[in-house]
Amino acid sequence: MNLSEEELQKQLSDPRQRNSAFSLVVRMFQERLYWHIRKMVMSHEDSNDVLQNTFLKAWNGLDGFRGDSQISTWLYRIATNETLTFLSNKRMRSQNSMNEVEDGLLQNLRADTYFDGNDLQMRLQEAILTLPEKQRLVFNMRYFDDITYEQMEAILGTSAGALKASYHHAVKKIEKFFGEEE
Amino acid sequence: MKTNKKITLEEIATELPFSVPENYFEQFALQIDRQIGYKTPQHRFIRSWMYAAAMIVAIFVVSSIFYSTNQRNLARNAENYESYVMTQVDEPAVVDYYVNNQSK
Repeated sequence: MNLSEEELQKQLSDPRQRNSAFSLVVRMFQERLYWHIRKMVMSHEDSNDVLQNTFLKAWNGLDGFRGDSQISTWLYRIATNETLTFLSNKRMRSQNSMNEVEDGLLQNLRADTYFDGNDLQMRLQEAILTLPEKQRLVFNMRYFDDITYEQMEAILGTSAGALKASYHHAVKKIEKFFGEEE
Repeated sequence: MKTNKKITLEEIATELPFSVPENYFEQFALQIDRQIGYKTPQHRFIRSWMYAAAMIVAIFVVSSIFYSTNQRNLARNAENYESYVMTQVDEPAVVDYYVNNQSK
């Protein structure tokens, strides 16, 4: 069943239809949000936890959703915050270097049974993990999902110009990573 | 793995190299449904059929109990009626009735 954005928002604000509308929202956006999270946290189990938190936060915060943005933008925003919180908690738990979390993510990725890429794709993931978090987010959204800078601006709250610059820097760093490997 | 050739981003597929367990998304959506207390139409359909089946079984059980009780009562009533008739009949009158009929 495909409902228009307007109809879906109307049903979400109606207590009698809220459950069925939210169930539909989960089915509409779960895959996109899952991949958005997975690219950042790498492991399937962690992605599953973050995705679950995302939808439960959205469900509990439905009354606060006033329809001033699209449902997808609102959900992406929650998913991004949940992902960054998850990574930040992981970082706080690790006592040693700043790169320890990224090293851990890389190790998880190498051991992950749900990674089915080739060597080149594994090396790209390694290169992406060397980027600062925000750049990693921007690079993933642009490179893999082809999300426009305008949509990213609405989700991340950063100007399109700054996002373009961020993506450009990320690409340069990744190419440098590959160059150093020669 | 290191190679001598410089790699560019254009050479690498933009498809994600990850996968998920089988039926993951179907199960995930059902899990969220449970957490928000939503019964899907499928659940409601199964539940209504379960109610209907339970009703049929209940009607069958109640009817069989009613039927067997009724049968027992009928049998008991018939026995009572026979005893009643026997108590009301005067034995010499019956003998007289038979004798008179045969002599006609």
